[in-house]
Amino acid sequence: MAFDTGRSPAIQITPRQRWSIAITYIVIVCGFALGVNLQDSALNQASRYSNLEAGIAALYPARWFLEESGSYVFRVRDMAHLGFKTVIEVSTSPVGPDTTERNIFDQLSLQRSQVLIDYTVLGFDTYRLADDSAAVSMSYSFVSRDTSPFLEGVSSIVNALDILTIRRGQALIVSFRADNKIYQAELETLRWFVQNLEF
Amino acid sequence: MDTRLQSDLDRADTYAFLPVWRRLSAQIVITTATLLAIVLFNELLSPSFDAQLERLLSLALVPFPVILWLFVSVLPEYRVSRPRRRLIGVAVVSALTASAIGLPLVNDFFRVQQWLPLQSVFTRILGYTLTAGIVDAGLKFLVLRYLILPRGLRVRSDAVAYALASSIGYSAFLNSALIWRLEPTWDIAAIYLLFNITVQLASGLFLALGIIESYFSDAYPLVLPANFLVAAMTTGITSASVGGFLSGPLSTAGNTDRPLFACALLVGSLFATLGIVYFLYSNAERSEREAFASQRNSHGI
Repeated sequence: MAFDTGRSPAIQITPRQRWSIAITYIVIVCGFALGVNLQDSALNQASRYSNLEAGIAALYPARWFLEESGSYVFRVRDMAHLGFKTVIEVSTSPVGPDTTERNIFDQLSLQRSQVLIDYTVLGFDTYRLADDSAAVSMSYSFVSRDTSPFLEGVSSIVNALDILTIRRGQALIVSFRADNKIYQAELETLRWFVQNLEF
Repeated sequence: MDTRLQSDLDRADTYAFLPVWRRLSAQIVITTATLLAIVLFNELLSPSFDAQLERLLSLALVPFPVILWLFVSVLPEYRVSRPRRRLIGVAVVSALTASAIGLPLVNDFFRVQQWLPLQSVFTRILGYTLTAGIVDAGLKFLVLRYLILPRGLRVRSDAVAYALASSIGYSAFLNSALIWRLEPTWDIAAIYLLFNITVQLASGLFLALGIIESYFSDAYPLVLPANFLVAAMTTGITSASVGGFLSGPLSTAGNTDRPLFACALLVGSLFATLGIVYFLYSNAERSEREAFASQRNSHGI
């Protein structure tokens, strides 16, 4: 019994033990903060895109996939997301002096209603750009289905937002599309993208 | 005289407290052997189960390590004169912290699956160490700190027994959450179980080593934090490597899983950790024994 008492740690902890616990707490807090920082830098790491011909420069999330071959100037997609891939697409179109934003949206809606399933316009609003100028936005939704019916995938409801501004006889359209479940969370990426877009 | 007294006291010590290392080794051997047998059985015979039956078999694996721990480590405690009474409490609180804090932090706050698997090996190791490693080891340390330290520590083996209890409880919740959510096949469920047990047990053993050195040898204040970091790093290294071992290389023939590679890595790292911690533990105990004997000699007892 005397031996046990001799080997057991004192009920009152020693200053060294007190220090070791305090330093361990500091290590936990610092490690956690470093983890948050690492996650932040990995998720928010940005790449730069510039197209001199179209006069567009933008920052986009580095882990997103950049594509330039299509009916758009460029688009970036979050390929890591399961299901419908969140996409930001930038396109330009020449416009006449009498063309309004509403004309362009109506034309886009006409085209989309023929290719997108259950395409529905949800509303129009104004959107404040980085230089404090006002753009017009249109929100809409549609149903996305796997291209191959043999994949037997479940359809996704996609929420989308178009931001349109007309400058120097050109309309710039930023189209953002994301799965309905993550749309609100992903809107933050769109805001950041638009803030850093130069046109 | 001194040697005889020492050996008598040791014998009394042995009877008063349940020995830990042999029981811990037995649990590890039985657990790894069973899970390996399941993986081998699936690899060699490729049995096809009904989906419902496969899910049931996968879920049935979850309580296996807990039941084994109850039979091998907890129930025999009540046959010795000075049992460790808080083992079940530590396991339950650890499982609850994993449920309330650990898993939500790693999955929903850090969202490691979104950004870490795509990084380089070094970033993966660092990332898993600073996220899952720090969270898991930190929560287990807090549980041990507030439930056990310092009154629950009477002999060195107490720290190992309670760290084992904490690891079993923590991994039990992770196993149940993972298998319930992902609905893996039977052999993949066995690998998930082996992975969680390896990660939690390895970090728990290094935590125990730090606590032992700090509380029994009154070591320098940096020893416990250093052991804590090693505990977090074992999680980082194992988590970062197991994915690469599990997935086969891409080729024109396609890509297949290599469950045996992943099992070999996990079993190897589990036994390596056990060996390293036991070596350091017995070394520290021998040093203390010798110091104790020389102190008695110098006093002329």
